[in-house]
Amino acid sequence: MPSPAAAFAWEFGWPRRWIPVALGGYLVAHGLMKPLLLGSGAALDLGDGYIAFATVPFSFTFMYFIAVFSFGLNGDLAARQSIYPARLFTLPVSSAELARWPMVYGLAAMSMLWVIARIAAWWPLALDLPIAWPGVLMAVVLAWTQVFMWMPYGFRGLRVALAVTVLIALDTLVILAINYKVSETALIAFLAPQLPLAYFCACLVVARARRGVVPDWNIFSRARVGEAEKALSPFRSIAAAQVWFEWRRNGRSLPVLVALVLPFELGTLFITGFGSTAYVFKVLIAALLTPILMAGFTAATVNKANPFARDAYGMTPFTATKPITTVALIAAKLKMAMWSTLAAWVIVLTFIVIGFSWSGADSVLTEWRVWFANHVGMPRAIVAGLLVLSGLMLGTWLMLVQGLFVGLTGREWLIKTSGLVWLVFFMAIGPILEATWDSTIALRWLWDNWPIFPAILAVLKMIAAIVIAERLSRSGVISDRALVAGAACWAASVFALYGVFVWWADTPILPRFIFLLFAILAVPLVRIAAAPLALDWNRHR
Amino acid sequence: MTDPVIEIENLTRHFGAKAALNGVDLAMPRGGVYGLVGANGAGKTTLIKHILGLLQAESGSVRIFGLDPVAEPVAVLSRIGYLSEENDLPGWMRVDELIRYSRAFYTNWDDAYAEELRQSFALDPAAQIKTLSKGQKSRAGLLIALAYRPELLVLDEPSSGLDPIVRRDILGAVMRTIADEGRTVLFSSHLLDEVEQVADHVTMIRQGTIVMSAPLADIKASHSGRSLDEIFVSLVGSPT
Repeated sequence: MPSPAAAFAWEFGWPRRWIPVALGGYLVAHGLMKPLLLGSGAALDLGDGYIAFATVPFSFTFMYFIAVFSFGLNGDLAARQSIYPARLFTLPVSSAELARWPMVYGLAAMSMLWVIARIAAWWPLALDLPIAWPGVLMAVVLAWTQVFMWMPYGFRGLRVALAVTVLIALDTLVILAINYKVSETALIAFLAPQLPLAYFCACLVVARARRGVVPDWNIFSRARVGEAEKALSPFRSIAAAQVWFEWRRNGRSLPVLVALVLPFELGTLFITGFGSTAYVFKVLIAALLTPILMAGFTAATVNKANPFARDAYGMTPFTATKPITTVALIAAKLKMAMWSTLAAWVIVLTFIVIGFSWSGADSVLTEWRVWFANHVGMPRAIVAGLLVLSGLMLGTWLMLVQGLFVGLTGREWLIKTSGLVWLVFFMAIGPILEATWDSTIALRWLWDNWPIFPAILAVLKMIAAIVIAERLSRSGVISDRALVAGAACWAASVFALYGVFVWWADTPILPRFIFLLFAILAVPLVRIAAAPLALDWNRHR
Repeated sequence: MTDPVIEIENLTRHFGAKAALNGVDLAMPRGGVYGLVGANGAGKTTLIKHILGLLQAESGSVRIFGLDPVAEPVAVLSRIGYLSEENDLPGWMRVDELIRYSRAFYTNWDDAYAEELRQSFALDPAAQIKTLSKGQKSRAGLLIALAYRPELLVLDEPSSGLDPIVRRDILGAVMRTIADEGRTVLFSSHLLDEVEQVADHVTMIRQGTIVMSAPLADIKASHSGRSLDEIFVSLVGSPT
């Protein structure tokens, strides 16, 4: 390597040389659509679904660049210590150079990404995107993320809190600027000066991290010597110890994230001009969906067998050699996820009550609640409210744990393939829905035959459940008695939910078996049941 | 001779095309200190992982206390103390939390002994694991492996983490005490002088194959009193 710049370029570029190739290939394939579908001529109008599909690779690459150039994949994000790799501190270069090259190459990568995205929008969709400011915004977001990642902190978790707060504030400002139709020049004038400022800050924080500065602002940790003199009370059981372990490792992330994001969402209720009924409901829906969305982020850590160790996919010997059954390890994760979900929802409901009552937007909800109760009757209204709330809570919990059956296998190829399959699914579903929506024949067929979809899904679910139950029984991971008890509990839940559905919405339009299908699909079974098999496969390789 | 604590027959394991273990047979009776020696990459850790049930036998069988460690992990692991070469204790825990968490898993956990070990290892209960030095982390790992007086203590390259003082003054004494109490110690190492000082029985492994397994006294007698180092080099090659 002739220079530090070349060494950094190799470190960032060589392992990821496939990215520009993949984006270039995507661009060519995307560009060929027009001549293939329409020939040359008018712009191709594929609708919002296709645009959503087309942006997925760019969003994914953007997030990936953020993680790579900030070294965010390298360590514990919640730790007080800098994330900047300590191995680079011993290189014979200045701290400014250590900060400079990741920032320069990050800036270059973001610029390349924006140029490619803009070309993809122009050809073949003829979308007239702004020339430069989104690219500058991407670079600014990366630069500040780098600063926050590399800075040592006085409190554990402060990095995530500060980064999320500042980046959301930055995003909000830009969204407001777009709303108020601020010119591109003004936006660039606001964003571009932040790049040298972020570089200056990065030099300072890298220098501090290099000197080993890690402030400790936690007065409780300083007083801990006295505290530790008191013996900690023992756990009541192995299960209690394991739930504590899981909670300390993963449980607090979701409530903290939800508490960070909600004030920004609910804060928009206080902005003048946003007081319409429709907007109030949009804010309510966004707030109610926040835990599910945040659970999706948190799940990435929960689903790893070993989030903080060298081999991030395999189990650590520390856990694998504990005399605890694989099922008990899974049960602890499920229980932790349940407590985490409950904590997040207590925060959501508290914030919603406070936000809506202080802003006066609760009057809109009260009116709607009265109208709904008068329309369907008070008992049905109460049950509907409880069903929606339970569904959202179940959705949050499920989002946390539904990936366990893949993540806990510890097989990198399986985990990455699964991620790719989901990505392809999300990329494909937009255009498919768009095309369906635009086709009268498809819509007519769907109207006549839609029950076939829940029926197929329910049948697939039951087949998968039988296969997994057979595997669980054969492997001895779970006793036959426990399997039968689990199956009985699941069946009881399905029939109870079916009863509620029938009572709530019994109508001659819908045959009752439809309710049964929905109940079968709503109560989790297969992915949860497969988790012990996955962990057992990982534990005994 | 009592029932073997470890009974391995014709154990084979491949990682890709490479044979990490190749037809390994090993029987370790109860009581005594067993040294497992071999060069880096010889298969010591792979063998230990099979004993702990972390790897499944591709072919052959592994029985610990007469049980299959993969089929009955709880029954086997509750009787084994293990110090990992990887030093993988959770960094976010404090030492007192580590002790509290670990004690929940073992009915034989001896609080007084754990406290005695903590003091002799000079571990601050309020210290976070990630702030400990490598040697201190190994001491913490050793504490939680010893405090329930396991029937079988498995130490994977303990010398790589422990400082010389702990190795010389504590580890040797602990191993001897365990053996004197009729329990069993299996430790892997490539420091042959250390093995020679502590072990009653030595197993040498080379490229996944056991090349010698016998009481130390017999090995030395059959090699005209040569040091273990010399015997090892003649059988296996350079120890490092």
